[in-house]
Amino acid sequence: MTTRQADERRVPQPVLVLGIGNTVMGDDGAGVRAIERLAELPLPPHVRLQAAPLPGWDLPNWLEGWDAVILVDAVKMNQPPGAWRRLTLEEIRLLLEDGALSLHQPGLAAGLALAQALDRLPKSLTLYGIEPAEIAPGSGLSPAVETSLPDLAAGIYRELIAAALESRRQTKQVAIESNKEG
Amino acid sequence: MSQRIEVHHVTRVEGHGDIIVEIADGKLKECRFEVVETPRFFEAMLRGRHYLEASHITSRICGICATGHATASLRATEAALGVELSEQTQLLRKLTFHGEILDSHILHVYMLVAPDFFGVGSVIPLATTHREVVLRALRMKKLSGDLCAAVTGRHTHPIAMTVGGFTHFPTHGELKALRQRLVECRQDVDATVELAASLPWPQFERDTEYISLTKPDEYAFIDGDFKSSDGGVYPKERYKEITNEYLVPTSTAKWTRHKRESYMVGALARFNNNYDQLHPRAKDAAAKLGMRPKVTNPFLNTGAQVVEIVHCVEDSIAIIDQLLERGVKPEKPTPVQLRDCEGVGVCEVPRGALIHHYWIGEDGKLTGANCIIPTNQNIANLEADMRQRVPQILDKPVEDIRLDMEMLVRAYDPCISCSVHVLKVEER
Repeated sequence: MTTRQADERRVPQPVLVLGIGNTVMGDDGAGVRAIERLAELPLPPHVRLQAAPLPGWDLPNWLEGWDAVILVDAVKMNQPPGAWRRLTLEEIRLLLEDGALSLHQPGLAAGLALAQALDRLPKSLTLYGIEPAEIAPGSGLSPAVETSLPDLAAGIYRELIAAALESRRQTKQVAIESNKEG
Repeated sequence: MSQRIEVHHVTRVEGHGDIIVEIADGKLKECRFEVVETPRFFEAMLRGRHYLEASHITSRICGICATGHATASLRATEAALGVELSEQTQLLRKLTFHGEILDSHILHVYMLVAPDFFGVGSVIPLATTHREVVLRALRMKKLSGDLCAAVTGRHTHPIAMTVGGFTHFPTHGELKALRQRLVECRQDVDATVELAASLPWPQFERDTEYISLTKPDEYAFIDGDFKSSDGGVYPKERYKEITNEYLVPTSTAKWTRHKRESYMVGALARFNNNYDQLHPRAKDAAAKLGMRPKVTNPFLNTGAQVVEIVHCVEDSIAIIDQLLERGVKPEKPTPVQLRDCEGVGVCEVPRGALIHHYWIGEDGKLTGANCIIPTNQNIANLEADMRQRVPQILDKPVEDIRLDMEMLVRAYDPCISCSVHVLKVEER
């Protein structure tokens, strides 16, 4: 491992956290609300938070240039309202193939499918889905989703911090190795 | 023998609508376009809210016409409060408005309409078979989004637009970079015109009344008077004489009519009414598409959108040149004097004339609101088209009739999710 490569490793992989939804449509806005919560926490500098009310067919554009993306959205998963799940890229791919992923119209599912067809899915893609209780006009979240939101945000936060720590650990490892080589 | 064609939740339109066509003994018995999405209660949500919040709430009526709703909302408030806008504010508003028209038209032409001509169900298979076409659409959409973001500070919801001005300003460098990208984009725009010119548009003519805004000095998108292709110009405050809203049992949206049983709004209406004010390059594009007013084929609403893509790219370059020349300076929004008042704001959003009418109390809170959106105004006209179209294609297989009806619906680019606000209005 050369020093130059070691230097490159020192910069943690940038992560985009994309919160999806419309905040005047009740629980539809859960993804955006989660982003707002995350924004209140001390985040590693390589993390960028972004709210995207209705990305649809633009999703490949939003994903372009990012190797790691975390999506947060209200997802109907037949779970109790407020329950949340972390889906990996592989799980998302399977759900896409089954046609089982159907969210906003024209939809995150369609956007992801288009990104996949264009080879624009990032290397690392995670979807945090939260089960909505009600998607209807009204600027507030349902009590069930509101109650779960801190836990959802904490889940995403833990992942971001863990990734940052892992990146630092690897950087140190590389530094030690290159010292040995040098 | 009787046949019934039902299309539930027509795909590739925004929101949910159904097509129902009934044919008995080779004759058309019934055809309807039903809007079935849950009504949204934005007018009710506006009542009691502070006037400064109105544009932010209404911009969320629709994820596609966010800037359009915000602009109509601001113009209504500004009309009510007697706020005059600086030249810079007007230029910036026009620029971001163009960005949204571009974004929406590109979405419609490439993602919603083009798949019909390529014989595929959606744009996703096109990404494999015609990758360059899809990448071009995404490239153009990205530029449109960036244009809006540079002016309003954020994609989709234009948070920096406020009553009397802006709270965020694009830098000289951002504007120069956007100008460069718009110039480079001409290649993609030309390819879009070529693509549209090569498509076999269905042949169908039905003359109707075309209604759009009009302005003496420019192709109208923001402000103006209502113009009817049947004659007559009406100031915006008299919008009710144009819309004459009425209820029909099969729809949760209110319908409209003016001089005839129905009228059409949108890109084709603007094209027919305001052709002379299009940019020369846009007129060239229209010639390539074989379009000259008055065009009476509703399928060519999409063609008119392509013409407007050319116009908006060229006009955006011209607006940026003006901004660069005069320089963009941070300005404080015009201060307002609160009083009991009302005002009407109008603009031409991608799908046609949009009207916001607000009543504001002395405390700055809205006491009433009325929003009339383009898709509602088009539904009666769309059904009239369907009634004339179906008998012409009765000899075709059912599947072809079904596809033809879907294409007709899609030509109108209906945005149904924001068109249904009627249950609240009944309460008023």
